[in-house]
Amino acid sequence: MEEWKPNPAVKPHKKRSWYLAWKYKLMNQRALRKLCQTGAVLFLLVTVIVNIKLILDTRRAAYEEEDESAQDYDDEMLNVEVPRHPVNSKKVLDVEVYSSRSKVYVAVDGTTVLEDEAREQGRGIHVIVLNQATGHVMAKRVFDTYSPHEDEAMVLFLNMVARGRILIFTIKDEGSFHLKETAKNVLKSLGSQVAPFLSWRDMWTFVGKKGGEVYGEKHAKSPALSTWGDPVLLKTEVHLTSVEDAECHWPDTELNRRRRRFCSKVEGYGSVCSCKDPTPIEFNPDPLKDNKVFDVPVAVIAGNRPNYLYRMLRSLLSAQGVNPQMITVFIDGYYEEPMDVVELFGLSGIQHTPISIKNARVSQHYKASLTATFNLFPDAKFAVVLEEDLDISVDFFSFLSQSIHLLAEDESLYCISAWNDQGYEHTAEDPSLLYRVETMPGLGWVLRKSLYKDELEPKWPTPEKLWDWDMWMRMPEQRKGRECIIPDISRSYHFGIVGLNMNGYFHEAYFKKHKFNTVPNVQLKNVESLRKDNYETEIHRLLGEAEVLDHSKNPCEDSFVPDTEGKVYVMFIRMEQEADFTTWTQLAKCLHIWDLDVRGNHKGLWRLFRKKNHFLVVGVPASPYSSKKPSTVTPIFMEPPAKEEGAVAVPAVAAAEQT
Amino acid sequence: MQKINRNVVLALLSMTSLVFLLFQLCYYKFYLSQKNGAAFSKVRGSQSGQDSTRWHVVRKFLGLISSHNIPVYLIDPLILGLVDKDIEQIRSSPDGPSPECKYFCAPRDFTTFALLDKTWKHEVGLFRTAEKMGFQWLKIINKDPRLDGMDDLSGMEIPLHYIFKLASHAIHLVVFYERSGNFLWHGPLRLKQHIDRKFVPFRKLHFGRYPGAYEKPELLLVSIDDLKVQIPKNPSSFLEEVSHSRFLECRYREARAFFQLYSDDASLDAVEFRKKAKSLLHLAALTLNNLGVKFWLSSGTCLGWYRQCNIIPHSKDVDLGIFIRDYKADIIPAFQKAGLPLKHKFGKVEDSLELSFQGEDDVKLDIFFFYEEDDHIWNGGTQAKSGKKFKYLFPKFTLCWTEFVELKVHVPCETLQYVEANYGPEWKVPMKTWDWKSSPFNVQDNGVWPIDEWDNVIQIY
Repeated sequence: MEEWKPNPAVKPHKKRSWYLAWKYKLMNQRALRKLCQTGAVLFLLVTVIVNIKLILDTRRAAYEEEDESAQDYDDEMLNVEVPRHPVNSKKVLDVEVYSSRSKVYVAVDGTTVLEDEAREQGRGIHVIVLNQATGHVMAKRVFDTYSPHEDEAMVLFLNMVARGRILIFTIKDEGSFHLKETAKNVLKSLGSQVAPFLSWRDMWTFVGKKGGEVYGEKHAKSPALSTWGDPVLLKTEVHLTSVEDAECHWPDTELNRRRRRFCSKVEGYGSVCSCKDPTPIEFNPDPLKDNKVFDVPVAVIAGNRPNYLYRMLRSLLSAQGVNPQMITVFIDGYYEEPMDVVELFGLSGIQHTPISIKNARVSQHYKASLTATFNLFPDAKFAVVLEEDLDISVDFFSFLSQSIHLLAEDESLYCISAWNDQGYEHTAEDPSLLYRVETMPGLGWVLRKSLYKDELEPKWPTPEKLWDWDMWMRMPEQRKGRECIIPDISRSYHFGIVGLNMNGYFHEAYFKKHKFNTVPNVQLKNVESLRKDNYETEIHRLLGEAEVLDHSKNPCEDSFVPDTEGKVYVMFIRMEQEADFTTWTQLAKCLHIWDLDVRGNHKGLWRLFRKKNHFLVVGVPASPYSSKKPSTVTPIFMEPPAKEEGAVAVPAVAAAEQT
Repeated sequence: MQKINRNVVLALLSMTSLVFLLFQLCYYKFYLSQKNGAAFSKVRGSQSGQDSTRWHVVRKFLGLISSHNIPVYLIDPLILGLVDKDIEQIRSSPDGPSPECKYFCAPRDFTTFALLDKTWKHEVGLFRTAEKMGFQWLKIINKDPRLDGMDDLSGMEIPLHYIFKLASHAIHLVVFYERSGNFLWHGPLRLKQHIDRKFVPFRKLHFGRYPGAYEKPELLLVSIDDLKVQIPKNPSSFLEEVSHSRFLECRYREARAFFQLYSDDASLDAVEFRKKAKSLLHLAALTLNNLGVKFWLSSGTCLGWYRQCNIIPHSKDVDLGIFIRDYKADIIPAFQKAGLPLKHKFGKVEDSLELSFQGEDDVKLDIFFFYEEDDHIWNGGTQAKSGKKFKYLFPKFTLCWTEFVELKVHVPCETLQYVEANYGPEWKVPMKTWDWKSSPFNVQDNGVWPIDEWDNVIQIY
């Protein structure tokens, strides 16, 4: 109660407080305003500072980045990739084809794709295949149809070319002499009017689409036997189709992508590019149990024979136990087509700038390839060396897997080779049998890294020495008395008939009838007996068991060996000293085996098969096995025919089997 | 009214500037985090969005590569550094679930893995799957150095680095190749012109500034942060390797030019000497590596490497350098045990030490010990008959790996300065007559050993 007192002065007080409050508020507002102003200025300032900082930072960072990446991360060689020419958007190609006695050329849209005016070369029918969508050259071949059988090769080739491709033909010099009816009919079926009537020294050009229209044909008849037809020049236009039409519609897989790439670039590989049912490019052969060569690198030595390489790689990739990752193809030269083949199979390929000429070029290519192989696979103790003109046996890796430990352990071994120089159809019999020989056959062989790195590589023949690498390796300075292990039945087959030291005649005489193993999983027998000392025991056992043949008969006659099977026979020939191969060479000749130089011997002993009997030949008295000769037997001596010897054998020796 | 107007304007201005400022800050933070994740890794514990991104990306990546059977292993130095601290625990419980995400959650721009080239087949399928999973990827290819030393071979270019990017995280996959000399090599990361320079912050990658050489690591499968990964069995020694891994390729092109100018000596003597010198070098490397003593190619052997990528056939000995701080008393007995008897010993550990061992057939192994000063490094020489001392000065250098005669060895990184110091500007010209006391460019007289020390500092066997 006390506290409540009516106060008359309240009102005026209230009034004053209102005023005061107002006044205070005013003052407050001013402070607030000031505060706001300062705040705003501060904010602005901070904003400006942050802004500047941001700009500086960004610039610095960007600068640094550019700077550093410029310094450290840029490829030094700023090779600006030249933008690829857009695929010919033009729909029409101008084609010019020229045929004459001494010169042929083909130009597509002004670009010369073939020009041959070399003397004494390139005779016959030149064929060019163009892609019907892009106009790219897919194949270039020349068939010397002046010579026999070349027309068959041409027919084979033309049959392999896919429908729709553009074919260009032109004759240089002469192309009709051995152009048989079959071939003429094939040309006729392509639309040629003239082909059936092509005759001696006619000039002829033809452009057409396989299985379709003819774009042009020109022909100049030879007026007389001794003269040639006038040169002809055909100018025509070819209409391109769309890319989709030119390609097959395979399912889109990794493999088919490789296939499509390949098939749009090259021609002449047959069913691999067939639209309907293309032949596989992956083979997945059975793996080998306990494969000792799975990690051994495989070097394929190749030149510019892409069709050979194709065939070779197919057989290699089909061999059981193959490891595609270990395969490297070394191409001698910057050839595109072999590289295309390598890429088709998804393998890795390396190109090598050719050094030197002829044999020396091959030899330098071998050296580079072997060095590169051991660089790429530094862990490898061995390398398998193959060439592009070999078929590889299905049990090639199985054969190596079973024998490679010998090469690792036996210092007296030089190599393991898949090739038996004397293993012909009529002289080889046992796929499970191995030999030791003093000669190095090559043609699919295994090289020890230490041999290469310590002995061969440092003194490999230099480029100016025109030596065959294999001849060099066979020289006593290199071989140092070491031997190679070979199978009785070869695990490789040499199919190449064109090459540096090779021609059709030579191939037919020495390689065609070579025996080649086709049996998978052959279990090699008695591998341990191949070791240096064991092998001597084995030979002595064999000689002890062998029946001595009747030395009064002619060893060339079939009747020299009785008509038995599975027996062991021995004959003795005269061999005055270690290097006396007079009788052996004559015997080899009449047995139709390798006689161009001495192969397959082991201490004056040769082992082969005749009529399914093991047949041993001992050179007396040079061979340490001469002691096995019964005293009653006179070693057979065969004299070389006096005249032929020098003319035939000597140049052929120089042209040994390597190509 | 005017005042109010001014206030309103001011308030508005402040507001705008505030908003603007906030925007700037946000942008700045975003920008920074993009540029440099590490800057924010101090923010611990917080499982922010980005942290788990990394873990998820790594998990996805591991799933991707295991579905293609590609064995990769973790080489990220930062993670291995963390792992190394807990290595005992991680080893003892390889399968245990981890309570917290310790290793793969620190927000970083990338995680580094290694892949051994020979263990995979370059399947294209991997990248298609990766794309399906949302990864962007980049392949860095370059020349194959294993073919570089060869005359004019051109192989296919080989992949050196892969980068897989998902969301804000990238996986850097370094491809290791086996080289002659039983070691692993990875290439430098060099961007070709058409490559997107902003794909990832390349300069922050731990591998790729230089090529590197490594021992073949033993691997260990562990579970960290609930992810199963292979790591080097001994992370700390691997990390040690990382810091000294820089690799120098031999200058093959210059070597070829050299041989065109001065054709190589292919005589039987030269072949024999090279063979012996190579095996001596292999033996010396084996012995010193077993002792854990770091050494490098010095003098003529170094010149041979630098000038012609081979042993100089007329050099007659093999020369190695060792820092005196790495000297061990076991060196002499170790070499003797390896079949290399001591031929002479000059100087003492405190001054001008030099050891010579007798290899097979007159090929000598010289080991020079190098003394570091503030601005230079030197080694000493002693003339046996007069007791004269010599000093050879070199500018300071660090050590790099290289491959030489199928061996992984050290050479001075600054090889040119080293060789020039030793042989002068004319080092490119072969000299058949060489006097170690007067021919070197950097030799200085250094007085004479006091007679009473001779028995100790001049020992000839």
